[in-house]
Amino acid sequence: MEKILSKEKLREWVGKLDGCEVHAPAFADSVWNYAPVQTGGDIDLSHTNTVGSVKAFAFPQREVFFRFEQAKGGAPVLTATVPEPRPTVVFGVRPCDGRGMPRNDKVFSAEFKDPYYWARREKLTLVGLACNEPHSPNCFCQSVGGSPHSEEGLDVLMTDLGDRYHVKAITPKGAEAMERAGDAFNEAGAADQAEVERVHAESRQQPQRPIGDLAAIPEAIKQNFDSPVWAEMAQHCIGCGICTFLCPTCHCFDINDEATGANKGERVRTWDNCQFPDFTMHTSGHNPRHDLGARLRQRVSHKFLYFVENHKTQQCTGCGRCISECPVGIDIVAVLERVGQS
Amino acid sequence: MMDNIYLPQVGRIAGIEEETQGARAIKTFKVEFPNGDGFEHACGQCAMLSIFGRGESMISIASSPLVKDYKQFSIMKMGRVTTAFHDAQVGDLIGIRGPYGNHFPMADWKGKDLVFIGGGVGLAPIWPVIQTAVAQSSHYGKITVFYGARTSRDIMYKADFERLRGLADVQLSVDAPEQGWQGYTGFVPANLMDKAPSPDNAIAITCGPPIMIKFVIQNLQKLGFADEQIYTTIENKMKCGIGKCGRCNVGKDYVCVKGPVYSWAELKTLPQEY
Repeated sequence: MEKILSKEKLREWVGKLDGCEVHAPAFADSVWNYAPVQTGGDIDLSHTNTVGSVKAFAFPQREVFFRFEQAKGGAPVLTATVPEPRPTVVFGVRPCDGRGMPRNDKVFSAEFKDPYYWARREKLTLVGLACNEPHSPNCFCQSVGGSPHSEEGLDVLMTDLGDRYHVKAITPKGAEAMERAGDAFNEAGAADQAEVERVHAESRQQPQRPIGDLAAIPEAIKQNFDSPVWAEMAQHCIGCGICTFLCPTCHCFDINDEATGANKGERVRTWDNCQFPDFTMHTSGHNPRHDLGARLRQRVSHKFLYFVENHKTQQCTGCGRCISECPVGIDIVAVLERVGQS
Repeated sequence: MMDNIYLPQVGRIAGIEEETQGARAIKTFKVEFPNGDGFEHACGQCAMLSIFGRGESMISIASSPLVKDYKQFSIMKMGRVTTAFHDAQVGDLIGIRGPYGNHFPMADWKGKDLVFIGGGVGLAPIWPVIQTAVAQSSHYGKITVFYGARTSRDIMYKADFERLRGLADVQLSVDAPEQGWQGYTGFVPANLMDKAPSPDNAIAITCGPPIMIKFVIQNLQKLGFADEQIYTTIENKMKCGIGKCGRCNVGKDYVCVKGPVYSWAELKTLPQEY
């Protein structure tokens, strides 16, 4: 299903999504981030990209697995807290973030399906917005097999055509969200089709960070496992971990018990980070990834070697956040280039 | 609704045995399932144990799968969770989920001699294999168990070893000379060379401190054991146990799913990240 939505009717579409939680990018505190849209409220899709990625809608930074209560010597009472969210529609998802979600789906499925992730994920509808222009000088979606108008992982793809949006349903879930406001949309004519193709073709010509030979990277990383390159490239790293927190595909987490009172508490999952030393430190003090170089190697290898070996695709969609937001300028594209040359 | 993989079953501590004392004491816990649930496991698999309010730890299951009434865990007092276990009493109710990981391929070892080489608390992961092998001794050839500890006071499963003597060739060692010690004096790899078990139609299974494993494997190779005849287990920090939390990987493998059991032929191809 492909339709045309005039820009002033976007509000009407959002208004028809009653019963759903709607989120869209909002500019606050000098950054774009997703924020809830009030019923009948405006949404502004003039954003570049959100600082935080869309993964948090299925995999929040902190979530409670279950509550426990146990008097000393008594029986524990466990109450699972698997969420039962309302259907949630997220607008303005950039195609790089859209492509992140099927990668996260693989991690939270496999042999053991994660009930917390899937409770949220199944209720999630992602309405993407094609990038007519790169949102940052660090964009490299096309260098990792994506495109500025990739449909992968999205339920709907919108393309800005100036005074109107071209809106395409990718999945049945996406079509359902569009049908809620059937009247708001117009049929897409031949001229609209030609225009959207032209805009997409032009977006692919915009400058992006190149990665030489993507297919050669896994072997290059393997050959460089013991290379001094990693320590060299990680020299300035302060181990803050922002690269992984903002990444649309980083999924590592911690599990801890937190007390909420005498004899009771919660078992909690929080995002964790391969750049932190205690991520892998054994209780004995032994640490298999004992320095910043080993930890940078892990981040890059996970995305461009191990994930490829396990899932036949990179665990990176080229959003460029880890480059743009790194306080000391560590640049994953430059690291790949350096490793490729070593 | 899908199974909640993070929600533990309730286990009851049915027995506590003090194995060794000191700052890093070891206790062995028998855990029953008072609610009648529980799970089957294979030799080498692990379970995530928890004390509610303290957290979870991955511990290898030290009892044979042939034992159905309880599961046994030998826990060294190391961190927050293991210390909480050392403070626990018989009758306490804990969390347990599992089983996790792969297992020793015992079905492939029918008719072979088995040589076990353990050191310290590293006996625990291979103990279920030893127990299963002696219980089904007609399936296997000669069973030899090398085990060493720092001193005779640090030897685990003392009572069980007395029973084991009648069923297997038991070769105990302590690191330094001790008055009245009947066994070998010296390190485990040296005891192995001293007794020199034959590699013909044999499998060697070793677990212990990393430095011991390193020299045991070197010595096994000197004795003529091929890489495919040598098995060991590895450990890494774990949180989820199901290949998602991202920290226990060695190369592309999450140890909690693809390990902890590896043949030396497999392990030597993996990066040194354990």
